[in-house]
Amino acid sequence: MGRAIVITSGKGGVGKTTTTANLGAAIAQLGMSVVLIDADIGLRNLDVVMGLENRIVYHVVDVVQRKCTAQKALIKDRRLDNLWLLPASQTDDKEAVTPADMRKLVGELKAAYDYVLIDCPAGIEQGFKNAIAGADEAVVVATPEVSSIRDADRVVGLLAAQDIPTRLIVNRISAHMVKKGDMLSQTDVIEILALELIGAVPLDEHVVASTNKGMPAVLEGKSGAAREFARIARRLIGMDSEAERETGGGWFSRIGRALGFSSATAA
Amino acid sequence: MWNMFRGKPSSREVAKGRLHLVLAHDRVGLEGGKLQEMRREIAAVISRYVPIDLDAVEIQIESKSRATELKVSSPLPARGA
Repeated sequence: MGRAIVITSGKGGVGKTTTTANLGAAIAQLGMSVVLIDADIGLRNLDVVMGLENRIVYHVVDVVQRKCTAQKALIKDRRLDNLWLLPASQTDDKEAVTPADMRKLVGELKAAYDYVLIDCPAGIEQGFKNAIAGADEAVVVATPEVSSIRDADRVVGLLAAQDIPTRLIVNRISAHMVKKGDMLSQTDVIEILALELIGAVPLDEHVVASTNKGMPAVLEGKSGAAREFARIARRLIGMDSEAERETGGGWFSRIGRALGFSSATAA
Repeated sequence: MWNMFRGKPSSREVAKGRLHLVLAHDRVGLEGGKLQEMRREIAAVISRYVPIDLDAVEIQIESKSRATELKVSSPLPARGA
Protein backbone atom coordinates (compact mmCIF):
# COMPACT_ATOMS: atom_id res chain seq x y z
CA MET A 1 0.00 0.00 0.00
CA GLY A 2 1.41 3.37 -1.04
CA ARG A 3 1.35 6.67 0.74
CA ALA A 4 -0.46 9.86 -0.31
CA ILE A 5 1.07 13.26 0.40
CA VAL A 6 -0.67 16.54 -0.37
CA ILE A 7 1.46 19.61 -1.17
CA THR A 8 -0.44 22.70 -0.06
CA SER A 9 0.09 26.32 1.02
CA GLY A 10 -3.06 28.43 1.17
CA LYS A 11 -1.51 31.28 -0.79
CA GLY A 12 -0.86 30.92 -4.50
CA GLY A 13 2.48 31.47 -6.19
CA VAL A 14 4.72 30.16 -3.41
CA GLY A 15 5.97 27.13 -5.34
CA LYS A 16 3.52 24.29 -4.65
CA THR A 17 3.52 22.98 -8.19
CA THR A 18 7.29 23.28 -8.60
CA THR A 19 7.72 21.50 -5.27
CA THR A 20 5.33 18.71 -6.29
CA ALA A 21 7.12 18.21 -9.62
CA ASN A 22 10.58 18.15 -8.04
CA LEU A 23 9.70 15.92 -5.09
CA GLY A 24 7.88 13.54 -7.44
CA ALA A 25 10.84 13.32 -9.80
CA ALA A 26 13.29 12.98 -6.91
CA ILE A 27 11.32 10.16 -5.27
CA ALA A 28 11.09 8.40 -8.65
CA GLN A 29 14.88 8.76 -9.02
CA LEU A 30 15.19 6.89 -5.73
CA GLY A 31 13.46 3.93 -7.39
CA MET A 32 9.93 4.32 -6.02
CA SER A 33 6.86 4.44 -8.24
CA VAL A 34 5.17 7.84 -8.08
CA VAL A 35 1.90 9.29 -9.35
CA LEU A 36 1.45 13.08 -9.35
CA ILE A 37 -2.15 14.31 -9.25
CA ASP A 38 -2.93 17.85 -10.33
CA ALA A 39 -5.90 18.71 -8.10
CA ASP A 40 -6.19 22.27 -9.41
CA ILE A 41 -9.24 21.66 -11.60
CA GLY A 42 -9.88 24.51 -14.04
CA LEU A 43 -6.36 25.95 -13.66
CA ARG A 44 -4.04 23.07 -14.41
CA ASN A 45 -0.31 23.74 -14.27
CA LEU A 46 1.52 20.65 -13.14
CA ASP A 47 1.47 19.35 -16.75
CA VAL A 48 3.45 22.35 -18.07
CA VAL A 49 5.86 22.37 -15.12
CA MET A 50 6.52 18.68 -15.86
CA GLY A 51 6.75 19.35 -19.61
CA LEU A 52 3.98 16.83 -20.33
CA GLU A 53 1.32 19.23 -21.63
CA ASN A 54 1.32 17.86 -25.19
CA ARG A 55 0.48 14.34 -24.14
CA ILE A 56 -2.77 14.83 -22.23
CA VAL A 57 -5.70 12.75 -23.45
CA TYR A 58 -7.78 12.12 -20.33
CA HIS A 59 -7.83 13.93 -16.98
CA VAL A 60 -8.91 13.53 -13.39
CA VAL A 61 -12.53 14.56 -14.04
CA ASP A 62 -12.81 11.89 -16.78
CA VAL A 63 -11.64 9.31 -14.24
CA VAL A 64 -14.07 10.51 -11.56
CA GLN A 65 -16.92 10.48 -14.10
CA ARG A 66 -15.89 6.99 -15.21
CA LYS A 67 -15.19 7.99 -18.79
CA CYS A 68 -11.93 6.09 -18.45
CA THR A 69 -9.89 4.19 -15.86
CA ALA A 70 -7.25 5.94 -13.77
CA GLN A 71 -4.56 3.79 -15.43
CA LYS A 72 -5.64 5.01 -18.85
CA ALA A 73 -5.55 8.67 -17.86
CA LEU A 74 -2.03 8.50 -16.42
CA ILE A 75 0.73 10.03 -18.54
CA LYS A 76 4.04 8.26 -18.21
CA ASP A 77 7.10 10.47 -17.87
CA ARG A 78 9.64 9.56 -20.57
CA ARG A 79 12.64 10.67 -18.51
CA LEU A 80 11.95 8.40 -15.57
CA ASP A 81 10.56 4.87 -15.73
CA ASN A 82 8.40 5.03 -12.66
CA LEU A 83 6.82 8.49 -12.72
CA TRP A 84 3.27 9.26 -13.87
CA LEU A 85 1.03 12.33 -14.01
CA LEU A 86 -2.74 12.48 -13.66
CA PRO A 87 -3.55 15.92 -15.10
CA ALA A 88 -6.37 18.21 -14.03
CA SER A 89 -9.18 19.21 -16.36
CA GLN A 90 -8.88 22.72 -17.76
CA THR A 91 -12.57 23.16 -18.59
CA ASP A 92 -14.50 21.82 -15.60
CA ASP A 93 -14.87 23.64 -12.31
CA LYS A 94 -13.89 22.48 -8.86
CA GLU A 95 -17.37 21.18 -8.05
CA ALA A 96 -16.93 18.46 -10.70
CA VAL A 97 -15.04 16.46 -8.05
CA THR A 98 -16.00 15.73 -4.43
CA PRO A 99 -13.81 14.79 -1.47
CA ALA A 100 -15.35 11.29 -1.60
CA ASP A 101 -14.31 10.96 -5.29
CA MET A 102 -10.76 11.96 -4.40
CA ARG A 103 -10.57 9.60 -1.46
CA LYS A 104 -11.59 6.73 -3.70
CA LEU A 105 -9.23 7.70 -6.53
CA VAL A 106 -6.24 8.20 -4.23
CA GLY A 107 -7.00 4.89 -2.49
CA GLU A 108 -7.01 3.10 -5.86
CA LEU A 109 -3.69 4.65 -6.90
CA LYS A 110 -2.10 3.89 -3.52
CA ALA A 111 -2.87 0.22 -4.10
CA ALA A 112 -0.74 0.23 -7.26
CA TYR A 113 2.00 2.84 -6.64
CA ASP A 114 4.42 3.62 -3.81
CA TYR A 115 3.71 7.37 -3.60
CA VAL A 116 0.83 9.60 -4.66
CA LEU A 117 1.67 13.32 -4.53
CA ILE A 118 -1.30 15.66 -4.74
CA ASP A 119 -0.73 19.21 -5.97
CA CYS A 120 -3.32 21.29 -4.10
CA PRO A 121 -4.86 24.45 -5.58
CA ALA A 122 -4.46 27.78 -3.78
CA GLY A 123 -7.22 28.75 -1.37
CA ILE A 124 -9.09 26.85 1.33
CA GLU A 125 -12.38 26.10 -0.43
CA GLN A 126 -13.67 23.12 -2.42
CA GLY A 127 -10.42 22.50 -4.32
CA PHE A 128 -8.47 22.39 -1.06
CA LYS A 129 -10.99 20.07 0.56
CA ASN A 130 -10.78 17.75 -2.45
CA ALA A 131 -6.99 17.76 -2.47
CA ILE A 132 -6.56 16.87 1.20
CA ALA A 133 -9.39 14.28 1.28
CA GLY A 134 -7.27 11.26 0.40
CA ALA A 135 -3.98 12.41 1.93
CA ASP A 136 -2.12 10.50 4.64
CA GLU A 137 0.10 13.48 5.32
CA ALA A 138 0.64 17.05 4.19
CA VAL A 139 3.58 19.22 3.24
CA VAL A 140 2.90 22.93 3.63
CA VAL A 141 5.01 25.18 1.41
CA ALA A 142 5.59 28.74 2.65
CA THR A 143 7.88 31.50 1.45
CA PRO A 144 9.45 33.74 4.12
CA GLU A 145 6.84 36.48 3.69
CA VAL A 146 4.09 37.72 5.99
CA SER A 147 1.22 36.94 3.57
CA SER A 148 2.44 33.43 2.78
CA ILE A 149 3.02 32.54 6.43
CA ARG A 150 -0.35 33.91 7.43
CA ASP A 151 -2.12 31.75 4.84
CA ALA A 152 0.03 28.75 5.72
CA ASP A 153 -1.06 29.10 9.35
CA ARG A 154 -4.71 28.94 8.29
CA VAL A 155 -4.04 25.78 6.29
CA VAL A 156 -2.09 24.21 9.17
CA GLY A 157 -5.13 24.73 11.41
CA LEU A 158 -7.46 23.12 8.84
CA LEU A 159 -5.12 20.15 8.39
CA ALA A 160 -4.84 19.69 12.15
CA ALA A 161 -8.65 19.67 12.39
CA GLN A 162 -8.63 16.72 9.93
CA ASP A 163 -5.84 14.96 11.90
CA ILE A 164 -3.49 15.07 8.91
CA PRO A 165 0.16 15.10 10.04
CA THR A 166 1.88 18.12 8.53
CA ARG A 167 5.45 19.20 7.88
CA LEU A 168 6.87 22.42 6.48
CA ILE A 169 8.98 23.42 3.49
CA VAL A 170 10.29 26.96 3.54
CA ASN A 171 10.77 27.94 -0.09
CA ARG A 172 12.89 30.64 -1.75
CA ILE A 173 15.11 31.61 1.15
CA SER A 174 17.97 33.99 0.43
CA ALA A 175 20.81 33.75 2.93
CA HIS A 176 22.05 37.11 1.79
CA MET A 177 18.75 38.84 2.62
CA VAL A 178 18.36 37.02 5.93
CA LYS A 179 21.83 38.19 6.89
CA LYS A 180 20.96 41.76 6.00
CA GLY A 181 17.90 41.51 8.24
CA ASP A 182 15.55 41.86 5.31
CA MET A 183 14.08 38.37 5.24
CA LEU A 184 12.60 36.01 7.81
CA SER A 185 14.91 33.06 8.43
CA GLN A 186 13.74 29.46 8.35
CA THR A 187 14.04 29.42 12.14
CA ASP A 188 11.70 32.43 12.34
CA VAL A 189 9.16 30.63 10.14
CA ILE A 190 9.35 27.39 12.13
CA GLU A 191 8.93 29.30 15.37
CA ILE A 192 5.91 31.22 14.10
CA LEU A 193 4.13 28.25 12.52
CA ALA A 194 5.23 25.72 15.19
CA LEU A 195 5.69 23.01 12.55
CA GLU A 196 8.36 20.42 11.91
CA LEU A 197 10.65 21.55 9.08
CA ILE A 198 11.31 18.99 6.34
CA GLY A 199 13.46 21.31 4.26
CA ALA A 200 14.34 24.86 3.25
CA VAL A 201 14.85 25.50 -0.44
CA PRO A 202 17.15 28.35 -1.47
CA LEU A 203 16.01 31.05 -3.87
CA ASP A 204 17.62 29.71 -7.03
CA GLU A 205 17.44 31.03 -10.58
CA HIS A 206 18.02 27.51 -11.92
CA VAL A 207 14.43 26.72 -10.92
CA VAL A 208 13.12 29.48 -13.20
CA ALA A 209 15.24 28.25 -16.10
CA SER A 210 14.31 24.59 -15.67
CA THR A 211 10.61 25.45 -15.34
CA ASN A 212 10.84 27.37 -18.63
CA LYS A 213 11.89 24.11 -20.26
CA GLY A 214 9.35 21.89 -18.52
CA MET A 215 12.13 20.06 -16.74
CA PRO A 216 12.05 19.62 -12.94
CA ALA A 217 15.29 21.05 -11.52
CA VAL A 218 16.22 17.74 -9.87
CA LEU A 219 16.53 16.17 -13.35
CA GLU A 220 18.97 18.84 -14.40
CA GLY A 221 21.70 18.29 -11.86
CA LYS A 222 23.25 20.04 -9.01
CA SER A 223 21.72 23.45 -8.40
CA GLY A 224 21.18 24.40 -4.75
CA ALA A 225 17.41 24.01 -5.03
CA ALA A 226 17.74 20.66 -6.80
CA ARG A 227 20.01 19.33 -4.05
CA GLU A 228 17.58 20.42 -1.38
CA PHE A 229 14.55 18.96 -3.18
CA ALA A 230 16.43 15.66 -3.48
CA ARG A 231 17.24 15.75 0.21
CA ILE A 232 13.62 16.51 1.13
CA ALA A 233 12.52 13.57 -1.05
CA ARG A 234 14.85 11.23 0.85
CA ARG A 235 13.54 12.56 4.12
CA LEU A 236 9.92 12.27 3.01
CA ILE A 237 10.26 8.56 2.25
CA GLY A 238 12.54 7.82 5.19
CA MET A 239 15.65 7.18 3.08
CA ASP A 240 17.69 10.01 4.56
CA SER A 241 21.03 9.09 6.07
CA GLU A 242 21.78 9.18 9.76
CA ALA A 243 24.00 12.24 9.24
CA GLU A 244 21.19 14.09 7.50
CA ARG A 245 18.74 13.26 10.25
CA GLU A 246 21.09 14.50 12.93
CA THR A 247 21.55 17.87 11.30
CA GLY A 248 17.87 18.25 10.52
CA GLY A 249 17.86 21.23 8.23
CA GLY A 250 20.34 19.88 5.67
CA TRP A 251 23.55 21.15 4.24
CA PHE A 252 22.79 24.78 4.06
CA SER A 253 21.28 25.09 7.50
CA ARG A 254 24.52 23.57 8.75
CA ILE A 255 26.34 26.37 7.00
CA GLY A 256 23.79 28.80 8.41
CA ARG A 257 24.38 27.59 11.94
CA ALA A 258 28.12 27.85 11.42
CA LEU A 259 27.61 31.47 10.47
CA GLY A 260 25.53 32.08 13.55
CA PHE A 261 22.14 32.34 11.91
CA SER A 262 19.71 29.90 10.45
CA SER A 263 18.95 30.27 6.80
CA ALA A 264 19.69 29.15 3.31
CA THR A 265 22.68 29.74 1.15
CA ALA A 266 21.68 30.76 -2.35
CA ALA A 267 23.23 28.53 -4.95
CA MET B 1 22.79 43.87 11.93
CA TRP B 2 23.59 47.38 10.94
CA ASN B 3 20.03 48.58 11.36
CA MET B 4 20.13 47.76 15.04
CA PHE B 5 22.83 50.33 15.61
CA ARG B 6 20.55 53.00 14.24
CA GLY B 7 17.94 51.84 16.72
CA LYS B 8 15.58 50.84 13.93
CA PRO B 9 14.30 47.28 13.90
CA SER B 10 15.18 45.32 10.74
CA SER B 11 12.36 44.49 8.32
CA ARG B 12 12.82 40.88 9.45
CA GLU B 13 12.00 41.87 13.04
CA VAL B 14 9.07 43.98 11.88
CA ALA B 15 7.69 41.03 9.89
CA LYS B 16 7.99 38.75 12.93
CA GLY B 17 6.15 41.18 15.16
CA ARG B 18 3.36 41.71 12.64
CA LEU B 19 2.95 37.98 12.10
CA HIS B 20 2.69 37.22 15.81
CA LEU B 21 -0.11 39.74 16.11
CA VAL B 22 -1.97 38.79 12.93
CA LEU B 23 -1.81 35.05 13.64
CA ALA B 24 -2.96 35.45 17.22
CA HIS B 25 -6.15 37.09 15.94
CA ASP B 26 -6.56 34.72 12.97
CA ARG B 27 -6.27 31.65 15.19
CA VAL B 28 -9.01 32.78 17.53
CA GLY B 29 -11.19 34.06 14.69
CA LEU B 30 -12.10 37.22 16.64
CA GLU B 31 -12.40 40.34 14.53
CA GLY B 32 -11.32 43.69 15.98
CA GLY B 33 -14.89 44.88 16.64
CA LYS B 34 -15.84 41.79 18.63
CA LEU B 35 -12.67 42.09 20.67
CA GLN B 36 -13.45 45.69 21.61
CA GLU B 37 -16.99 44.68 22.55
CA MET B 38 -15.54 42.03 24.86
CA ARG B 39 -13.14 44.61 26.32
CA ARG B 40 -16.01 46.96 27.17
CA GLU B 41 -18.03 44.17 28.79
CA ILE B 42 -15.08 42.97 30.87
CA ALA B 43 -14.33 46.57 31.93
CA ALA B 44 -17.95 46.98 33.01
CA VAL B 45 -17.78 43.82 35.13
CA ILE B 46 -14.55 44.95 36.83
CA SER B 47 -16.06 48.36 37.54
CA ARG B 48 -18.88 46.72 39.48
CA TYR B 49 -16.30 45.61 42.06
CA VAL B 50 -13.57 48.25 41.85
CA PRO B 51 -13.86 51.84 40.67
CA ILE B 52 -11.73 51.94 37.53
CA ASP B 53 -11.24 54.05 34.46
CA LEU B 54 -13.18 52.02 31.87
CA ASP B 55 -11.01 53.27 29.01
CA ALA B 56 -7.79 52.14 30.71
CA VAL B 57 -8.72 48.46 30.41
CA GLU B 58 -6.65 46.80 27.69
CA ILE B 59 -7.24 43.53 25.92
CA GLN B 60 -4.66 41.55 23.96
CA ILE B 61 -4.43 38.24 22.17
CA GLU B 62 -0.99 36.66 22.09
CA SER B 63 0.30 33.55 20.40
CA LYS B 64 3.17 31.41 21.54
CA SER B 65 3.87 28.31 19.53
CA ARG B 66 0.37 27.05 18.73
CA ALA B 67 -1.16 28.13 22.05
CA THR B 68 -3.09 31.38 22.17
CA GLU B 69 -3.64 33.48 25.24
CA LEU B 70 -6.09 36.27 26.09
CA LYS B 71 -4.65 39.03 28.26
CA VAL B 72 -6.80 41.66 29.96
CA SER B 73 -5.07 44.34 31.97
CA SER B 74 -6.54 47.13 34.06
CA PRO B 75 -4.89 49.61 36.41
CA LEU B 76 -6.53 49.37 39.85
CA PRO B 77 -6.74 52.47 42.04
CA ALA B 78 -5.35 52.35 45.59
CA ARG B 79 -8.05 52.27 48.29
CA GLY B 80 -9.16 55.73 49.29
CA ALA B 81 -7.56 57.33 46.27
